[in-house]
Formats: sequence, structure tokens, C-alpha cells
Amino acid sequence: MIKRIILSAIGACALALPAAAQDAYVVGLTGALTGPPSSTYAPAVEALRIYIDRVNAGGGVNGKKIQLVLEDDGAQPSKAAANTKKLITQDKAVLVVNASLSSTYAPMIAETKNAGVPLLFASGVCPQSVYPPADPLQFCTTGYASHFDSQATLDFVKATAKAPVKIGFSAMAIPLSRGEMDYAQDLSKTMDMTPVDEEVIPPPTADYTPFATKLKDAGPNWVYSWAPWVTQVRTLEALRKLGWQDEFIAWGHIEAEGDLARLKDDKFFVVNANALFQDALPIHKEIEEAAKKAGSKYPAQTMAEGWIGGMAIEAALKGAGWPADAIKVRAAMENLKIDTKGLRGGSIEWNKDNHFRTRLYYRVYRWSGDKIVRVQDWKTYDVK
Amino acid sequence: MQLVVNIVVLASIYALIACGYVLIYRVSRVLNLAHGELMMLGAYLLLATASLFSGHPAMALAAAALLSLLTGALVYVFLMRKMTGEMVLAAILTTVALGILIRGVAVLIWSAQQQYPAVALGVANPSLSLLGGARISIWSLALVLTNLAVYCGLFLFLNFSRWGMRMRAAGQNPLLAAQRGINLHGVYALAWSLSTLTGALAGILMALDSGLTTSMPVIGLKAFPAALVGGLDSLAGALLGALIVASAEVLLIYYVDPLLSDVVPFLVLIAMLIVRPWGLFGTREELDRV
Amino acid sequence: MFRPAPRASGYFRTDYAQDLALVQTRAERVSVVVVIFLLAGFPFLASPFALDLACQVFLASIGALSLMLLTGYAGQISLGHAGLIAAGAFTTGILAREINAPFWITLPASVVSGMLLGFVFGLPSLRLRGLYLAVSTLALHFVVIYLGGEYETKRGFSTGIIVEPPRLAGFKLSDGRGWYFVLLIAAALSLIVCINLLRSRSGRAWRAVHAREPVAEALGINIAGYKLLAFIISSCMTSVAGCLFAYYRGFVSIEAFDLFLSIQYVAMIIIGGMGSLLGALLGAAFVTLFPYAIEDLLGLLPDVQKLAGDIFAVNYAAFGVVMILFLVLEPLGLVGVWRRMQNYFLLWPFKHRPLAGLRK
Repeated sequence: MIKRIILSAIGACALALPAAAQDAYVVGLTGALTGPPSSTYAPAVEALRIYIDRVNAGGGVNGKKIQLVLEDDGAQPSKAAANTKKLITQDKAVLVVNASLSSTYAPMIAETKNAGVPLLFASGVCPQSVYPPADPLQFCTTGYASHFDSQATLDFVKATAKAPVKIGFSAMAIPLSRGEMDYAQDLSKTMDMTPVDEEVIPPPTADYTPFATKLKDAGPNWVYSWAPWVTQVRTLEALRKLGWQDEFIAWGHIEAEGDLARLKDDKFFVVNANALFQDALPIHKEIEEAAKKAGSKYPAQTMAEGWIGGMAIEAALKGAGWPADAIKVRAAMENLKIDTKGLRGGSIEWNKDNHFRTRLYYRVYRWSGDKIVRVQDWKTYDVK
Repeated sequence: MQLVVNIVVLASIYALIACGYVLIYRVSRVLNLAHGELMMLGAYLLLATASLFSGHPAMALAAAALLSLLTGALVYVFLMRKMTGEMVLAAILTTVALGILIRGVAVLIWSAQQQYPAVALGVANPSLSLLGGARISIWSLALVLTNLAVYCGLFLFLNFSRWGMRMRAAGQNPLLAAQRGINLHGVYALAWSLSTLTGALAGILMALDSGLTTSMPVIGLKAFPAALVGGLDSLAGALLGALIVASAEVLLIYYVDPLLSDVVPFLVLIAMLIVRPWGLFGTREELDRV
Repeated sequence: MFRPAPRASGYFRTDYAQDLALVQTRAERVSVVVVIFLLAGFPFLASPFALDLACQVFLASIGALSLMLLTGYAGQISLGHAGLIAAGAFTTGILAREINAPFWITLPASVVSGMLLGFVFGLPSLRLRGLYLAVSTLALHFVVIYLGGEYETKRGFSTGIIVEPPRLAGFKLSDGRGWYFVLLIAAALSLIVCINLLRSRSGRAWRAVHAREPVAEALGINIAGYKLLAFIISSCMTSVAGCLFAYYRGFVSIEAFDLFLSIQYVAMIIIGGMGSLLGALLGAAFVTLFPYAIEDLLGLLPDVQKLAGDIFAVNYAAFGVVMILFLVLEPLGLVGVWRRMQNYFLLWPFKHRPLAGLRK
């Protein structure tokens, strides 16, 4: 009986799927909402959704509502490709957003290229194809960026270190993190630092202590980690457990603020492109209120990245006018300035060649005493 | 010296997880591939009881342990009991499906975020200094001691108590045991409860030591080779197998290549299957020679 | 033979050729023609999304058929199916990327790599059975995945290998309808290959090995040879599926081939019904379409956007629940349901069939 119901439901649904109402902007999103990396991407997607809901509640963009179609790909590339196809062909999305692991990029790029629909990366690391000269269809708002992050971090280390720097590196066994740590290692040599060890840690590890042991035995006085948050923070905890007391610097993912407060480690530095919520800017209060009103189960502190993605979508659609198709949206995005209202150090600007941003802003925070303090204010790097 | 401590800690993790696999396999010849997820569920239960009993960590831990006992019994009564007598693949697949279900439900109830039960309980995780300059954290030490306590307890239980003997009998020859008047359903339910309890203890202690993520079940799968290397129906074998796998992993990380640590348990498994498929201390089973 | 008796009455087979024919009664002929008609006409009536779903179902069914051959008929449990698909896909990707090989080289190369890997996967089956065999295939799966990941990293394909669509004399295969027909033909070919194998000596040998191994050996069947043959043929077909997957999706990356994929294939053959090729097809369709059906069902609920993040965890949990329900309540799978429906109509107005022989 149950099987019959299920079978007939499948039959009914698979054959006659309704088309989306066309009196709204249709924006499709596929993200890692379930699966191992979901703790990084799900809050960003939630924030984006709350932002779009707010925009709709305030009347929408150009008088029309934004219909956000969410799909889950569980960080699986084939599912991401299938979702993209569905969003483009069935839901007729004019803009597709990726909030998932970097392994989903290649298939989504292929699909959107085939259909000529712009692709926005809003939560995963920005691919090289959005740096100048940029691929016409790909755009990226994500805060962290390979190579520039390491440059900024090593500059900070060099400026802050009191003794000659012997630097160790910790990466997760995914190609991007490894590649970045290799790059940082090479860069450190040109900056008069001595790289001592690079640890590459496979993702689902029961105990980080063996890796930390090897890292500690190499004798670094600084350790830099650019990887998903779990690798960074567990490496630090393992090192501290072994009695290593020196400075540790890592990229500030969305979980940074919560963990800085949890660890209370005053030699733990995080490099951020987003302002932390303890700065209590007006935009932060706005986000906190919206999150509370929506009854979200993710803390407001994790929502900066998704909020910026939502801002980008709103600005792009506003510039595209109504009625808008993929070509108009892309044209609008090629000439866009997004005011982040203080969430980043400045506005995000896109032009024909640069779909990343023209300027990068970095801040460094650490825990001190009983709160988070800002150690370095917005430092800019130009993107050539 | 630190290496030895690392090996002991990792081996304790694997051994505590492995004894869950062994218990169920020994008693009912079913491979419980949902053990990793049940482990994770135990840690999430601690999170739930921590908010209920805030301020009394000991009570929260005890409550979580009891809940996991209950969960194991319920899993047997409502699910696995219906699968007795079905073919091997169907039983394994049922446990896999159960694992998938638990993962989905965990994300639904607690969201996909990383959780820290230590914070919820209000306990710290300081690090101790041992001789030889090695260091170990409190919860890792607790894990090692719990592992030893669990194994001793299981050994005493299986060898000297009534229900333990019933369990061993049911494992050796279910038909004869049933004829003898042993309540097979009760024995199996008990096996599942104990297995879930040990798994939950492993999950809880690991979560207290380093945090709780939704990718914890994968560690459960990595511990499975430890159980098999020692022999799927031997507890002593599980301990030894965990030691072998953990030593291989830690030594390879330190001296060769950290990346191998992901695949080393399975290489050890393959080697064991080629040489001695029933493990170091397992009973010989229906195997062919070609 | 193992073919069911024809369902029309008054039908007599008078020579061996008639006995061996695949399609025998007029009703069967008519239904085959109707099915071909529907399948051929489908792409011209359906939306691109439904077309994509159909293509996914065909791809999945090739893998499901090969696994059914291995596990359902030859009785060798294999949990490493995703590793075999990965082997085919990676061979295609590597060759296409490193030496720009066209598809008429990568396809046979995938077959060869499938054969080799199938041989390796099959070696444990000579010594192990049941659970231990399953575990050995699981371990080998992880090793294959590790090697794939290492290749990807060492060669710098951090986000996967992009594969160009196959070209034949200047004609590029990249639109939905073209792929539909290619995959339909591939699935039909694998089905015919499976049917033929099962009706031949190998099929009979596999069934004997599965049923009673000592008796099979006593009858003179080379157990080792046929077990290895089952693994090799099954993995060749799976590699072909992997190669087609690489071309269809246009990329190859190791994350797509995780343990969950293996479990999905095993779920396909169990939900479909073990020991039946129709079961493999039904199971493939069910498991592929199931997530979309759940999403649509949940979409009917009011105020869905608020639970947007939860929907997908529900999907995951629902898959587990449905699998459990099938395993516990319907061990014969979808084929069992299908046969019950058939029997209902065949026997009507009677309810029960006579004891004297026929299908369960």
C-alpha cells in the first residue's frame, strides 16, 4: 500500500512538473545544505534567504518580487550539475548561485556556460576565472581568495613577529587548501621566513594529535592554516594540547567569532575580510534582528557572507530592470558596485575584466582578556 | 614518547568503536554499518541532556548513556528483529539505511553546525603532562581509561554473568540456545543496547575532546577494519586489531606521509583478508580455498 | 528454462527456435512495440528537465544491471560499485585530458581498465564469501577513491577534470535529445547483453554457483573461473557506464564517487528485487527519481520556503525510511509488487493461483 502511494506520487510528479510563475525574478541556488561541509555553507544560504525575504517584504526589486529557488547538492558535483540544469531549464532562472564545495564548480560552470546564464559564487572560494581577465559569466562575492589571503597573512606575520619567523603550515587534504599552503610556503621564503613543515590532514580524522606532533616537532614559532574551519581549529587545539605556546594564524571563516570566544586563546589570530559582529555596526544589528525574526537556528554571527551574497543579487537585479533575462542580468553585473555597509572594508566593484573585486580589505582579530580585539584595521590590496 | 601516547589514544578510540561491531556480530552475525551514526547520535544525546541538566555534568553524562542503551534496544525491537533470517546483504543494507535515517534526523533536529558539548556541559579540557615529555588531554585520558573499563567489564560480563553466558551461547549456536530456553530476542536486544552504549561512549568522549561534527560516522567506518583484523567475533582481537591499525596510522603519519592515514586502515584490512580472513582471533568461518 | 510460461492460453511452442525466442506471444510483441514507440516519442513531448531525468535513469540502469548480474545472479556481494564507475570515468577523463583522446579510444580503454579492476575486485571472491567479500570490496573501493584523489591533486585538477563532449565526424553530442537516444541505446544494449548472458552457459553456471556451490563444482563447473568472469563482465559494463557518465556530465571529480553512490546502487537492486533484470531497471528508476519526488511532495506543503534548509535533510532521512520499509515489508522489491499486480489481472476474477507451478 505504501509502495503504491509512493509509486503513484513519483509518477505524478515526474511527469507533470509545474513551471515557475514568471511574474518575479527567478534566482536559482544550489548549495551544500546537507553533507559533511554543510556547517560552512548552510548558514550562508540561510542568510541569503533571509535577506531576499526581507527585500520581498519591502516590495521587492523594481516592484517585482525575487523568487529564490533553493536546491541541495550535498557537496556532490553530479547533483550540483543536475540541479543547475533543472534551475535553468525548468525554473528559468536568470541567475544561478553556487554555495557549495569547490568540486561542484566545474560542472556548474559547464552548464551555465551552455545556457548563457550568469553564475555567482557566494560562499565557496572564488575560482581563478573571476580574477582579471574574467570569464564573462562568472562572478564571486566570497570573502576569501587564494593567493591574496596568504599574501595578507604573511605580511601581517612579518609586521608583527618579534623574532625571526619559523613558520609551519597546516592544510586539509583537499586540492585548494594544499595548493594554497604550497603557495604560502614559497612566498614565505621570499619574505625572509623559514618554512619548517607543512602538514596535510585528511578530512575525517579521529585525532589531530599525531599530525600536530609532527608539526610541533619541526619547531615553528608561527603556524598558518588556510583550510576549512574544522581543520584550522582542531590543529590549533591539538598543538595547544601538546604544549606548543606560540602564535597561530588562520582564515576567519563564519565559525571564527564563536570559536574565538570559546577558546579564549590570546595567541590565536584570525584574518578576516568580513567585520566581526563584536564591532557592533548598524548592519550587524540589522542582521541580528532579521535572524531573530525569521527564527533561524543558525547564530547571526555566521550570516555575513550570505548577507553580502543577497546584497549582490539585489543590486544586480535592480540594475537589470524589468523584464529581465539572463543577458540583461549579466550586463548589469558587469558594471556593479555593491555597498556592503561596513561588512567588508569597502564596496565590491565589478567591471568587465574583474568579476572578483578591485580592492581587497583585510582585518586581523584576536582574543584578548575577555573580548575580541582588532589587531589590524582594514588593509587594502589592489587586484590587478 | 609522544608517539606512544598518540598511538594509545587512537587505538583506544578505534577499540571502543570496534567492540560495538564485535558485540553485535558475535551474537547475531549481523554487521552493523550504522554504528558510526549511532556513535554520533550518542554525542548529540549528550548535547540534549546537557541543556536539560545544565550545571550537573555527571547527571547529563549518565542520562546520555542511559538514553543510548534505550536507543539500541529500540533499534533492535523495531527494526532488526524483522530482519532476522533474511539474507546477509539485506540485513547490512537495513543498517545502512538506518544510518542514513539517523544522519538526516540529526541534521533536522540539531542543524549542521559544529557543536561543542564541552561548552554545553561547562567542563574544560586541560592538558596533562606525562613522563617523557608527552602530553595528553583530560578527555583523551578519560577515553583510554573508559576503553579499558569497558573491555574489562565486557569480559567479566560475558564470562561470568548469566546473561553474558546466554549471549555467548546464542552467538555460537542460536538454534540450540533457543531450544535450551534462552530468550533470543532478549539476548539480541541486549547486544544491541550494549553496542550502542559503547559506541555512544566513544562518540561522547570524542565530542568532549575535540567537538562534534556531522562527519563523525566516517570515523566509525575507519574503525571497522580494526574489528575485522582482530576477528569480528573476538573482543580481545578487537583490542589488538585497534592497536595494530592505530600504530600503522600514527607511524605512517609521522615518518612517511600524512595523507596515507586515511587509507591505511583499509590497506591493513585488505592485507588481513588475503592472509587470514577470519582475523587474528576470530573463529574460522565458511571460506573456500581455490 | 528460466523463462516464465507464456501468459496467453492456447499457445504452443512447436520447435526450438520458438522456445528460444525473446518475444513469444502476440501480447508480448505488441507491448514491446508500444514501449519502443513511447520511449522514442518521449523526448519530443517532455520538458528538458524530464529529459535529463530520463537520461540519469538510463545511466543508472546500466550500472544497476551490471550489479544485478554480479550480486543478484552470481551471488557475489559487491559494495565497491562506485569505485568501478570511478575507474571508468577517470580513465576517460585522464585520457581525454592528457592525450586528447577521442571517445572511440577512451571507451575501449575504459572497458580494459574495468576488466583489470574487476579482476582485482574479484580475486577476494575466490576465498571469501558473504560478509567478508562485501567488506573486501568496500576496502578496495576506498583504495580506488584514494588513488583517484591523489591523481587529481598531483596533476593539479583541483576542481575536477573537464571532459569535452564526444565528437563524431564533426558532429558534437551535447544536446538533451541526442544524449537521450545515445543513453537509451546503451541501456538497451546492456539489457540485451545481460539477457543473453543469463540465457547462456555463463548464466546457468552463475545461477548454479549462487544456489549450491559444492553441487555446482561437482557438476564440473569451474567455480573460480565463473566467479571471476562475473566480476570482470560486471565491471566492464560498469566502466562503460562510468565513461558515459564522464561525457554526459562533462567533468570527472572524485567526490562524485563516494560510498553513498555504492549504497545507492545496492539499494537499486534490492528495492527493485533481487534476481530479476526488470527489478534492476525499476530499482534504478525508483532510486534516481525518488529525491525529486520527495522535493515535489514537500513543495506542496504550505510555507515551504521557511523550512528550505530542512527539506534536504528530510530528503536524506526519507531515503533511509523508504529503504527500510522496502527491506522489511517487501523483500521481493518492486518486481514483487509488479508481479502481484500482474497476477491480480491475470487471475481475475479468481484470487489465488493453483499450487501447480508458476511464479511467486
